[in-house]
Amino acid sequence: MTASPTPAAGRPLLDVADLHVEFDTHGGVVKAVRGVSFSVQAGRTLAIVGESGCGKSVSVLSVMGLVPTPPGRITRGAARLGDVDILRRKIVDGHDVRGSRIAMIFQDPMSALNPTMRVGDQIAETLQVHRGLSRADAFRRAVEVLAQTHIPDAEARAKQYPFTFSGGMLQRAMIAMAIACEPEVLIADEPTTALDVTIQAQILDLLQELQRRTGMAIVLITHDLGVVARMADDVSVMYAGEIVESGSADDVFYRSAHPYTLGLRAAMPSQATTKAAGLQPIEGTPPDLFDPPPGCAYVARCPHAMHLCRPHRPEPFQVDPAHHARCWLHHPGAPAGRDGVYRGARA
Amino acid sequence: MLAYTVKRLLQGAATVWFIATATFVAMHSVPGDPLANQRATSEEIRRNLEERYGLDRPVIEQYGIFLGSMLRGDFGISFTQENRRVNDIIRENFPVSATLGILAVTFAALGGILWGALTALYRNRLPDLVITFLVILGISVPSFVVAALGQLALVNLNAAVGEPLLPVAGWGTLRHMIVPSLVLGLGTMAYLTRLMRSSMLEIADADFIRTARAKGLPPTRIFLKHQLRNAILPVVTVLGPAIAAITTGGFVVELVFAIPGLGRYFVTAVQQLDYTVIMGTTVFYGAFLVVMVIAVDLLYGWIDPRVRLE
Ligand SMILES: Nc1ncnc2c1ncn2[C@@H]1O[C@H](COP(=O)(O)OP(=O)(O)O)[C@@H](O)[C@H]1O
Ligand code: SF4
Ligand SMILES: [Mg+2]
Repeated sequence: MTASPTPAAGRPLLDVADLHVEFDTHGGVVKAVRGVSFSVQAGRTLAIVGESGCGKSVSVLSVMGLVPTPPGRITRGAARLGDVDILRRKIVDGHDVRGSRIAMIFQDPMSALNPTMRVGDQIAETLQVHRGLSRADAFRRAVEVLAQTHIPDAEARAKQYPFTFSGGMLQRAMIAMAIACEPEVLIADEPTTALDVTIQAQILDLLQELQRRTGMAIVLITHDLGVVARMADDVSVMYAGEIVESGSADDVFYRSAHPYTLGLRAAMPSQATTKAAGLQPIEGTPPDLFDPPPGCAYVARCPHAMHLCRPHRPEPFQVDPAHHARCWLHHPGAPAGRDGVYRGARA
Repeated sequence: MLAYTVKRLLQGAATVWFIATATFVAMHSVPGDPLANQRATSEEIRRNLEERYGLDRPVIEQYGIFLGSMLRGDFGISFTQENRRVNDIIRENFPVSATLGILAVTFAALGGILWGALTALYRNRLPDLVITFLVILGISVPSFVVAALGQLALVNLNAAVGEPLLPVAGWGTLRHMIVPSLVLGLGTMAYLTRLMRSSMLEIADADFIRTARAKGLPPTRIFLKHQLRNAILPVVTVLGPAIAAITTGGFVVELVFAIPGLGRYFVTAVQQLDYTVIMGTTVFYGAFLVVMVIAVDLLYGWIDPRVRLE
């Protein structure tokens, strides 16, 4: 809580820049993702946080090549893994990237596994495809990986079908499936949202333990600030298809520079505030993504909105060296003295 | 699994008993007299026949005798064809019906799965639209019309070629079997195609298919190992009723194509009110269908592990 933590040395492992994604629907074109950029370094965890429907899943699904096309369409942007743009490519240097160098786990483990295939076979399958192991070798390795996720009696469990597993166990199996090929980046889309609170903590601990051991980068998607506080090194806050604030976890939490981030914090249950007293949900609803506002997307809900906010779209202003906020309050000419909005070390 | 199988078999036995009883009751409540034919000319002969078939006993006693002989697997002697045992009739004619039925079911199931998968892959594109149109035709046209049209087409085809390409009627060689089994399986195939199509589309959107793609598996592997196997499940569930539909449809097809199967026998027996043949074949068909439904259940359990252990 002193100065911002040391920015990690080295280049980002995964670097997403200016991503735009649209969907054709009966009601028109949904502009689900509108210029999203984020990056994550080896061994670090980036949390992407925001209300439901703001485009978190679509952003990472695009990186994984999993946006259904049609109706989806990536209209602009790049996603670099190391030196190559993987956005529209499945194979780089003759290697499958997806499932091998970059892997993903999903929200609902109950439906994310094939019900008619043994759990071990589902893990082994990636090793057969990406590592060229034989069926038997892949299965043996799958049992080892399953054991790494602390599933008791992994050998016997690998031979069972998903319906015999509990939700928490299934998410462990899912994690085993994702890390089997030792990916450099693991994307976790709300990995604990469907689970009991105690199980949630265990799964988060497991992810951290695996990260310490393998040095993989994690992109963690959540709408739960408690999960962010527990896990994240860096945080990107998303709103209506845009990243509105990004920085280290401490920056975003304790030196929130965007009114929306402050709103989220006020709406978050914490030890300090009892439910009755402290919780203040943000008034209003997110804007219509069929016809997003030309200026700041948060203007209709923002307590600090100014005249220029409605017609003019704010750029991401630098608040501190590695801390950015897409808000006109950080324009040098903006009036000072807004409640709670952090204005940078210089201010 | 064993307990499950035993339970299903007991249920099946109860079903067969019910079918037998219902047939017995029905046979004894239809108007008409099987001995009213020319054969029972004198009172004496009539009495002899009644005695021989036990028709002079009280109904409840006849029922007891009937159940007893059913349990022994003895279906009695035909009323209209002296000296022919119903068991022999079944033994001689059922294999023909079974061959026809098996070919038709195989054709319907494989065709349904294949066309259904294809229409799903080409969703809303030309192959899908064409097949879906044909499917609606196939479902809505009754089997006797299909049979007649099939035969007509065959006649025209042979005439066009100038020599008998495929026989129009009769039985014996594989060439005899092709068209009747296609005709017999067609309606069921259309129904299974539609089922398979919607099942495939539903599975295509399933989370575990997205997982498989996230794992970077090749499309063919995703299709075969993840989509197809799960999409087939609903098709397997309705295979029992489908076999029943094809079995009864066989009666008509056997008549139209002059195939010497049990179904044709059954139809004739009904026309002639041949008690023993009607009851024997009905109970036999009932038992056969029950066994098939159980077999389908076990097959389902083999494909879907969730059913296997419950
Ligand atoms: N397949 C799709 N077809 C149409 N619209 C979609 C599709 N997937 C996502 N969207 C739209 O994109 C927006 C963002 O969705 P999503 O990324 O799932 O939100 P989040 O994960 O943040 O809750 C939503 O408005 C949603 O309606
Ligand atoms: S740009 Fe204006 S409306 Fe948007 S968050 Fe900042 S102050 Fe509020
Ligand atoms: Mg989501």
